[in-house]
Amino acid sequence: MLGKRTWVENGLLAAAIFVVVAFCLFPFVQILSTSLKHQFDWGNPSLIPVKLNWNAYGELLGIRSAEQVDVPDSVKRLLENPSISESQRRKILDRYQTTSDVFPFLRYFLNTFMLSASAAAVSLCLSVFGAYALSRLRFTGQTVIQRSILFVYMVGGVLLMVPLYQMSVKIGLAKSVGGSLVSLLLIYIIQTLPVSLYMLGNYFRTIPYALEEAAAMDGCSRVEAVFVIIIPLSVPMLMTVFVYCFIIAWNEFLFASVFLKQFHQWHTLPLALQTLFMSKNAIWDRIMAASMLTMIPVVVCFLFAMRNLTGGLAEGGVKE
Amino acid sequence: MAGIRLENINKKFGKTEVLHQVNLEIGDGEFVVLVGPSGCGKSTLLRLVAGLEDITAGNIFIGDALMNRIEPQHRNIAMVFQNYALYPHKNVRENIIFGLKRAHAPKDVIESRLSKVVNILGLEDFLARKPAQLSGGQRQRVAMGRALVRDAKVFLFDEPLSNLDAKLRNQMRSEIRRIHREYQTTSVYVTHDQVEAMTLGERVVVIRDGYIEQQGTPMEIYLHPDNIFVATFIGAPSMNILDARLFDGYVELEGCKLVMENGTPGQHRELPKTGLPVKLGIRPDFFIDRRHAGDGEALAVIHNARIDLIEPLGFDKELDVQIGSQLMKVRLDLRTQATEGDTIDLCVDMRRTHLFDIDTGQRLQ
Repeated sequence: MLGKRTWVENGLLAAAIFVVVAFCLFPFVQILSTSLKHQFDWGNPSLIPVKLNWNAYGELLGIRSAEQVDVPDSVKRLLENPSISESQRRKILDRYQTTSDVFPFLRYFLNTFMLSASAAAVSLCLSVFGAYALSRLRFTGQTVIQRSILFVYMVGGVLLMVPLYQMSVKIGLAKSVGGSLVSLLLIYIIQTLPVSLYMLGNYFRTIPYALEEAAAMDGCSRVEAVFVIIIPLSVPMLMTVFVYCFIIAWNEFLFASVFLKQFHQWHTLPLALQTLFMSKNAIWDRIMAASMLTMIPVVVCFLFAMRNLTGGLAEGGVKE
Repeated sequence: MAGIRLENINKKFGKTEVLHQVNLEIGDGEFVVLVGPSGCGKSTLLRLVAGLEDITAGNIFIGDALMNRIEPQHRNIAMVFQNYALYPHKNVRENIIFGLKRAHAPKDVIESRLSKVVNILGLEDFLARKPAQLSGGQRQRVAMGRALVRDAKVFLFDEPLSNLDAKLRNQMRSEIRRIHREYQTTSVYVTHDQVEAMTLGERVVVIRDGYIEQQGTPMEIYLHPDNIFVATFIGAPSMNILDARLFDGYVELEGCKLVMENGTPGQHRELPKTGLPVKLGIRPDFFIDRRHAGDGEALAVIHNARIDLIEPLGFDKELDVQIGSQLMKVRLDLRTQATEGDTIDLCVDMRRTHLFDIDTGQRLQ
């Protein structure tokens, strides 16, 4: 019979699903586990830490200060050398004693958040009107524009990286922090716009045109109808598009690594993670905790988007 | 309130011309029904009045104001759509008062108008519901309410009842009549249903292929159709159009000599009356079983019509009848005892019949 399974089949199916899910989740569990382990525990293949270690999270979030690294004996001996000046001695000691540059997580988090949120917001605003125009209006060159928008998306980012950077250098944007951030913002907007336009355009097409005509009869201009009818009816899709743009910008590494290379203070999280990975502060629990914290907004966004993807807001207004 | 005047309206979609030189004047407070088969351009005409489509040529006046370049939102028109077009994210109350709010009407005006409309349409219990939680009939009433609540100059109805079942349709039809009696707003109503056209319209405009074929009161159109199209389109079952020959003083139909008592052929003297082929139009309702015909009436008789099929409809019986090689529909009252296969003599009042030109389909007169 259709749709009826025996318990064996059910069991096999469940096992198969478990294997796939476990395969996908394993790296994340590994990250979480390592971030909570003490140094002596790192070599242990078990996923459960022998003793929970919250220090890394505490440091990153600024709840507790980073542990001081002891000055090695060899360095101590070197410092006793009288030929070294006082300022040189300070410098050497500082390398071991200052903790401010361990990993200013909150700062990177804010950098990334501002950049991603503004890119997503601008992209969303542009794509609402762009998608409306593409799905509702008729104008010359429409098909060409529509196709070329998707075509842009087919070109890989790597190919564009060098020319884009050269462009921003030539117009002087790459010189300053602000200019670099603006170029990066523009790039994120352009990168996410095609898919936003596509998603929103298709969604707008499902909203009956008669609703806008009814709004016109009720005294709305076309633009007003977009605000009063189209946007309220598209809220779930708008949120989805926002989340999509946000995640793309949040995770972006390639362009950020080029444009923000010289501006350490303005690094985004993916970039900072990579720096952390290669710095003297590269301690496993710290790296993993930072990765974990970087992931959280993405996970939250996904959960949020999933809740809103049910749709069905436009039902009931029009007899099909 | 205001009248509507359409002057030489032309509408093209790309290269297809769907309305040709339409002229129509609708009086202040009049209820006009545009009726025609689907694709005849009646909805397009309505949408031109609403401003939802641009006219290709011609002028539209509402009141005395030229509307050609006025955006729909500034025409002060209320429209009821075929598919309701309710705002799905707003509840019934918000749907109804949306237009008033857009116009920044004062709160007390909104409330009083709302309660009046809600009262008329019986929507008291549904104000907080969303359109998705309403039945088809209720949605239709909300759509009506949205139009009524506004102090619009003109009401436009685009086949508002076509999505309802037969019973609801009858009910809403009477409701629309009552509402118009109360509001007396100039109304244009589009339908393909000739029953709606007959029952609702103070004036009926029959449209075919973008031309106005005839306009007049429902009874004028029913009793004096200008051509075969109007004759067959209006009235159900539709008029029988039969091949006949016209002689001086009578029409010959399949060997039966149907004398025209008030001398109709005499009215078109220019025609040769010796056997001119014509189309004879007789409505099924105008036949009488000879056995039940009164003596005083001067009726023409069609002899020996053979009954193919009888469909009893309660008070009436609808018969498919064959005379010679031609088939026709006949509607007789329930006294008729004839059964299928019988022959029957049918009486016709020739003053109620029409002769049409065999080529042009125009009525001969």
